[in-house]
Amino acid sequence: MAIAERTAGTVSIPVVNVRPGWAGWLSTTDHKRIGIMYLVSAFVFFLIGGIEALLMRIQLGVPDNTFLTPDVYNQLFTMHGTTMIFLGLMPLNVGLGNYLVPLMIGARDMAFPRLNALSIWLFIFGGLMLYVSFFVGGAPNVGWFAYAPLTQKQYSPTAGVDYWIIGIGLTGVASIAGALNFIVTILNMRAPGMTLNRMPLFVWMQLVVAFILIFAFPVLTVATIQLLFDRHFGTRFFLPNLGGDVVLWQHLFWFFGHPEVYILILPTMGIISEVLPTFSRKPIFGYAFVAYSGVAIGFLGFLVWAHHMFAVGLGPLANAFFGAASFLVAVPTGVKIFNWLATMWQGSLNLTTAMHYAIGFISMFIIGGISGVTLASPPINVQQTDSYYVVAHMHYVLFGGAIQGIFAGIFYWFPKMTGRMLDERLGKWQFWLMLISFNLTFFPMHLSGNAGMPRRIYTYEADMGWNLWNLISTTGSLLLAVAFLLFLWNVVTSIRRGPIAPADPWDGATLEWAVSSPPPVYNFAVTPRVRSRRPLWDQKYPHLREINSGHGMSGAHNESEKRDGFEHETSPAMEPIHLPSPTYAPLIVSVGIMILGFGIIYLSDFGLIAASAMIVGLLIMAFGILSWVRISHVDSPHHAH
Amino acid sequence: MSESSMTRPPTAAAHHTSLGVDNRKLGVWTFIGSETMFFATLITTYFVFAPVNRARPDFQDPRKFLDIELTTVLASILLASSLTMVLALSASRRGDRRSFTTWLLATVGLGLAFIGGQVYEFNHLYHEGLTLSSSLFGTTFFVLTGFHGAHVAVGVIWLLSVFFKVRAYPDSPENAMDVEIAGLYWHFVDLVWVAIFVLVYLI
Amino acid sequence: MAGHSEEHSAHAHPSDRFYWIVAGVLAVVTALEIGLFIVNEQHLIAKWLEVTLLLILSTIKGAAVVMFFMHLKGDAGIFKFVFLVPLAFATTLLLSFMVLFSDHVGIAG
Ligand SMILES: [Cu+2]
Repeated sequence: MAIAERTAGTVSIPVVNVRPGWAGWLSTTDHKRIGIMYLVSAFVFFLIGGIEALLMRIQLGVPDNTFLTPDVYNQLFTMHGTTMIFLGLMPLNVGLGNYLVPLMIGARDMAFPRLNALSIWLFIFGGLMLYVSFFVGGAPNVGWFAYAPLTQKQYSPTAGVDYWIIGIGLTGVASIAGALNFIVTILNMRAPGMTLNRMPLFVWMQLVVAFILIFAFPVLTVATIQLLFDRHFGTRFFLPNLGGDVVLWQHLFWFFGHPEVYILILPTMGIISEVLPTFSRKPIFGYAFVAYSGVAIGFLGFLVWAHHMFAVGLGPLANAFFGAASFLVAVPTGVKIFNWLATMWQGSLNLTTAMHYAIGFISMFIIGGISGVTLASPPINVQQTDSYYVVAHMHYVLFGGAIQGIFAGIFYWFPKMTGRMLDERLGKWQFWLMLISFNLTFFPMHLSGNAGMPRRIYTYEADMGWNLWNLISTTGSLLLAVAFLLFLWNVVTSIRRGPIAPADPWDGATLEWAVSSPPPVYNFAVTPRVRSRRPLWDQKYPHLREINSGHGMSGAHNESEKRDGFEHETSPAMEPIHLPSPTYAPLIVSVGIMILGFGIIYLSDFGLIAASAMIVGLLIMAFGILSWVRISHVDSPHHAH
Repeated sequence: MSESSMTRPPTAAAHHTSLGVDNRKLGVWTFIGSETMFFATLITTYFVFAPVNRARPDFQDPRKFLDIELTTVLASILLASSLTMVLALSASRRGDRRSFTTWLLATVGLGLAFIGGQVYEFNHLYHEGLTLSSSLFGTTFFVLTGFHGAHVAVGVIWLLSVFFKVRAYPDSPENAMDVEIAGLYWHFVDLVWVAIFVLVYLI
Repeated sequence: MAGHSEEHSAHAHPSDRFYWIVAGVLAVVTALEIGLFIVNEQHLIAKWLEVTLLLILSTIKGAAVVMFFMHLKGDAGIFKFVFLVPLAFATTLLLSFMVLFSDHVGIAG
């Protein structure tokens, strides 16, 4: 048993047997450590994706440039897109969610801590496999949406596409396992009194995203499996000369791909919905609308995928339907923006760095949203498709929107995670530099795109009229890099000698601020009892309670309930805190799956060696699963203490 | 609340969940939801290509290749395994170890028989000239039914692991839930076959 | 919820006899399906009618497996949600793709 107990007052505080040093990280099942691992590894991938973008921008800075060869350029834009979406934005959101969701709902950990560990390892190994491709014949060079038939063996003979399939596959399994974990945790592990309608909006958005992911990802999984079979085992799903259908790939990919956009943006909307009220000193305006419009966006997201395919020629009826459905998405999204503005209206704004980023999110997201509405119109879309206008649009949404939202979250929760404050002054410098250079980089792309510059070209001639816009974009991208260096410097110095963070540095309203910074390994010594949407504010400002809660408390409650927004469960001494033991099993299983993946890639070319690798992988997996089953039995709450 | 928590046994806290349902059961149902999308995509692909297959010079007619008798046997095996599975669960809940063992092993046996039947079918079709690359029908049929077969195989391993776990720890209070969630997965695999049976073999 | 609790427990653990009856119904429906398939090789009824009948019969089968063997009937609402919502998405996927590809048979057509 990993846990010994000692009694402090009436509460038994567990002493958890965390292994020291690296072993502690490799064997951890603590959602907070796993969250940090997600954030750190995703940020590393994010920086690599950024470097890839910089190289492309340098190549495009002047016409007729020869800095990169066409093939390397193709590899870079493929890896940039794939990295930023699957290895950067998604896991950054997952990392924040992993760290914060259990704290925000008053739980001690995720529902399945070992599955959580499996997710982080599969994600890391999937990302590494994708990058191995650079060293074994070349990275994938087919664009992040990998349109058929370019991905077929005759056009992409290197193993790059195979590494793309397997890398995406591993991160996909990680994502599905992670989403499953979020769904069960959020639905089933809430502290007493934390009803769905009292959950922080960040938790709401994580729940919606988990559902979208669970339903959308299998479609991509099947499409990539079919592609793998086409490349290696003689099928013809996407081989038009044999009756296969390249348009089917597009439909399957975007059936996943459009919901994926919401997987990236909704969690950051959740972050904004936490940051804005805290620093406006006001409850969120229209809590229910923000929550349910997230659900509505999630549903609508499954009905609009073909707006990525207006240039295919689906016919006027299909185009009209998907165009109209896409316009509809603007409605819940637009009203959300008014919710945020109304939250700030007449609030006493505290313009911290996090608040800067939150406001930056709103303003840049509006620009990206409006260009998105133009793109939802089929006739306009046909003009702008595959041009830099689309590049501008999606970066306003995913960089100006999602990345700024994530920065808002990082500046907001960094003190909670590390126990140190980030440098606010440096953070604001970074914000302004980033905002200006972001617009320098991406706003001109609207113009170069409308001037006809196509995406994914490695160079252009000097007389196309695109020179100025590209030079500005490249300059902006170099400045962006400086902004990120400022952030890295801020993190490194603040972790060492930043001011010590108190438990509640921002005067927050949600449960994570009720515990120390960083929180103890068991999160809550006693399970909190929640009585409103803003338990901490109600506790700190009881006289504002009636105004804050929106629905006044009835007289049925006793005095202590009136005083506190939350209180501790009585008789905690009866219930020992139960935490999962550390274990290497998830890591071992992931290693097995990765070896299996390498075997699959080379199965048709090196039959015997690859098959042996697959068997080794399966054996390692089996060993890992066995030790997993054993530890989960020993760890089960029924097992004798 | 405070009164009832005083009288609760210490381990009851681990049971308390917000929705009053078991975490793992909720997880498996959610996973089944995800798997529904997985098989829906495979079936959709089959249907998208069915008319294309018919219009092509290398057209292979599903009606000529698929053997209704063998299919009937396979479908009956899986349906019967669903019955034995639910009887195993019922026995496990009663604490009737002997009939639990009987019914669970019967389920495993039927699962293995299904896999055996499918191996026979694939082998037969292969010798008739239907392969992954012989036509669009071969491409879509083998990938769809092959992935279903792989799910049956995973189900057999899952059931066996439950069997050995229950044998090793016969008094664990989690046994009934272990059986129930493995059973949910098993019934789902059967459910997919109900769909494949009608959509691929009969229509 | 409280009003359902009695019904709930009645459905939660039906008797073995009940399971045998369900299995018997499943066997009969399967036999009907196969009978219909074999008989209509003579084209006695229109193809669309055969397909409709087959789909109805297999829907009954699937519903019985989900409701009684998987105990979704009478079980917690959240299980219905996490299964029926993706089932609806799956149906949407299948039907919308069949519409989108209805006059699109690749280069073969
Ligand atoms: Cu889209």
